[in-house]
Amino acid sequence: MSEKRGSLLAGLALGGAIALLSLAGPFLYRADPYAIHPAYALRGPSLAFPLGTDELGRNGLALLLAGGQATLIVSLPAALLAFCSGLGYGLLTGLGAGWLDKILMRLLDVFLALPSLVVLIFFAALVPLNNVSLVLLLGFLSWPALARLVRNEVVAQRGRDFILAAEQSGAGRFYIARVHIMRMIAPVLVVNATFLVGDTIFSLSALSFLGLGVQPPHVSWGSSLQSALDIIALAPWWLIIPPGLMIFGSLLAASLAGQGLVRREGAR
Amino acid sequence: MTPVLEIRGLTVTLPRAGRDVPILEDFNLTIAPGRMLALVGESGAGKSVAALSVLRLLPPGAKISGEIRLDGTRVEKAGLQRLRGAVASMVFQDPLAALNPTQTVAAQIGEAWRVHKGGSKAEARAKALALLEEVGIADAATRLDDYPHQFSGGQRQRVMIAMALVCGPKLLIADEPTTGLDPLVAQQIMSLIAGLRRSKNLAVLFVTHDLSLVAEHADEVHVLYAGRSVEWGAAKEFFAQPRHPYSAALRGAVAWLGQKKLAAIPGQLPEPEARPPGCRFAPRCGFAQVDCTRAYPAPVQTDGTIAACLYPLQGRQTFTPAAGAPAAQRFAPLLEVQNLSLRYGKKPVLADVSLTVGQGECLGIVGESGSGKSSLGKAILQMLPYAGRVALEGQDFAALRGAKMRAARRRVQVVFQDPRESLNPRLRIGEIIAEPLRLAGMKRGEAAAKVETLLHDVGLSPALMGRLPGSVSGGQAQRIAIARALAAEPALLVLDEPTSALDVSNQALLLNLLRGLAQERGLSCLLISHDFAVVSFLSDRIAVLRKGRVVETGETSGLLAAPRETYTRKLVEAAPRLQS
Repeated sequence: MSEKRGSLLAGLALGGAIALLSLAGPFLYRADPYAIHPAYALRGPSLAFPLGTDELGRNGLALLLAGGQATLIVSLPAALLAFCSGLGYGLLTGLGAGWLDKILMRLLDVFLALPSLVVLIFFAALVPLNNVSLVLLLGFLSWPALARLVRNEVVAQRGRDFILAAEQSGAGRFYIARVHIMRMIAPVLVVNATFLVGDTIFSLSALSFLGLGVQPPHVSWGSSLQSALDIIALAPWWLIIPPGLMIFGSLLAASLAGQGLVRREGAR
Repeated sequence: MTPVLEIRGLTVTLPRAGRDVPILEDFNLTIAPGRMLALVGESGAGKSVAALSVLRLLPPGAKISGEIRLDGTRVEKAGLQRLRGAVASMVFQDPLAALNPTQTVAAQIGEAWRVHKGGSKAEARAKALALLEEVGIADAATRLDDYPHQFSGGQRQRVMIAMALVCGPKLLIADEPTTGLDPLVAQQIMSLIAGLRRSKNLAVLFVTHDLSLVAEHADEVHVLYAGRSVEWGAAKEFFAQPRHPYSAALRGAVAWLGQKKLAAIPGQLPEPEARPPGCRFAPRCGFAQVDCTRAYPAPVQTDGTIAACLYPLQGRQTFTPAAGAPAAQRFAPLLEVQNLSLRYGKKPVLADVSLTVGQGECLGIVGESGSGKSSLGKAILQMLPYAGRVALEGQDFAALRGAKMRAARRRVQVVFQDPRESLNPRLRIGEIIAEPLRLAGMKRGEAAAKVETLLHDVGLSPALMGRLPGSVSGGQAQRIAIARALAAEPALLVLDEPTSALDVSNQALLLNLLRGLAQERGLSCLLISHDFAVVSFLSDRIAVLRKGRVVETGETSGLLAAPRETYTRKLVEAAPRLQS
């Protein structure tokens, strides 16, 4: 019991702490992340610069917080977009007529067959990169797995007696979806929403690491890692470990929370 | 001697759809000390409202006029607390809802005693023990610290009765105390009440819809129909010869039940908003004349009981229903199935099935598993594609589309085999039963009130409304499925093995419930089962299905006595005997 809740609580606490730090941090720690202090370039942690400075003498802690903000501002809406598209597509396929199901499922297979990171890189090279285009790119490339999951859940629920009984009383497809299907698959949705958040953070970080994510002068965790990599020979551990830990921590939080929810649901 | 209870000119209205609707009108009743009066009527007759009025336990919004005296004291808002429990106390249908689930029975009974009489905890406990022994709880001393859920339904009702007796009342008001209990336990509770009456000189107002329960114990009978008293008098005279056609019909229904035959009084109890002028039973009565519909008949003293009837029955006369519409309805076909065929892929499941179900008739479909009986049910429900004609009330389903199709499908409701599977585990019970109502556009508040009535009709407590299906028993879940089906006000109920997921005692309870509901509402049923015992208990006629074909059809008694086909004989012999 405690172990089951422990994983969920740890995930929520870790995720909450990271989100709070990233979204509220820049307002609390008001040092300018983009101010350049050439005299202090590449210094290790000190009282003035708790996480040291980069090769331009920018404040490491301020950069980390700003990077978190940039990462979450793109990742969370992208996850939401992916969630809504996946849910809508899945419901449409699962509840629609047989022919519609067939067409939409083949289309989904095509989407799933494409390696999403490659497609992401392809499109990122084509369109101007800003927050909006990144949200759209990440959002539209993360939904197919959820769509298939939802579709399969819907098909599994569709023939059950309580849904037949509702149809007998005059319930339409929209009502069935809203009242019966949604409540039945709510746990699956919640779990997958947490995984989606982890996925989009990871994808954005990967893109940024490749220079195709958040664009300079703005920083994100991924781009911070990339710029630290350029000067890896100087071994600036204070520039590499914090953004790496943040990415790792976010993924861990999403995974823990998701697993915790799965176990709690299983225990019911 | 002062009567324990005296009611004069009681009229009660309840708010329905924004207007005060009279539920009970000009009701008079007297009970002398130590006497048992049975207040009898169908659900909706106003009998519970009469009982609840005595201690002013009516729902909010009720308006009450007339005079009620308890042991000579006029019942008014002030001083009510003193009368409750001390002069009169009440026992309800559902003891589980009335008992506190978090307290032991000793604590609950003891508390009631200490509130009224004071005294120490030890005295209260001793009193609780004495009372539990008195109401026949075996090993009462070891059960004192048990919680209500640890008692069976019959024992819980005994605990309720013990609580009602705490302050030594002179009147016990029992509102359907045995509904929901199986017949054997119901008889035991009746005997307990009868015994207490003798040993404590307790007067009893016994509210019931079941005449057969009271025949043995009641001194007097008072019959209500659609909010008015129709007949009252000594039980002996009443049971010898009811004088009002309605009571005679009720009495007749009991006799028929003994022979395991459904006896519906053709027609339906009028809704309180739509009660006819004059005698309320006139539209259903074969003896009614034009003058019956002019004014409510004044009560007359017959050679036996008093009856509010212009043409009370004479001698050994029995009831005949009104000629014309209601009687003809019973034979008018409701559902017609012609040459229905159905296949799964290439495999034929049903071939050329034809049958009819009449208005108010119950048709049983019997067959082994794989005989296609469930598929037949689903085809009639329009859940499976088929070839052939299925028509309800003369309207062919094949000709219907869209909204008309949805409306026609609503007229046929279904109760499935597995109650767990047929209730969405994540919807509250109140939402589940309200679903057909809400889908028909009923407002939330109105639907909630209706759900409460439906729960009551299937013998469940309204307290279940907020709970999830996972927290109730299989038998309760099946009752909830029935309540949902009834909410759509169907003309036909398809019951697909409704009892086979239940244990034996729950099976009997559910069958009794279904029989009562079908009878009360004039519902038609299509009962599908592999079990001849179940089918013959409820059905007027039976069709035997084998490998997708109807091999034999006939009246239940005839088919049971002399099955034509060997296959039918085999099924009849396989069925466990159902004791009556």
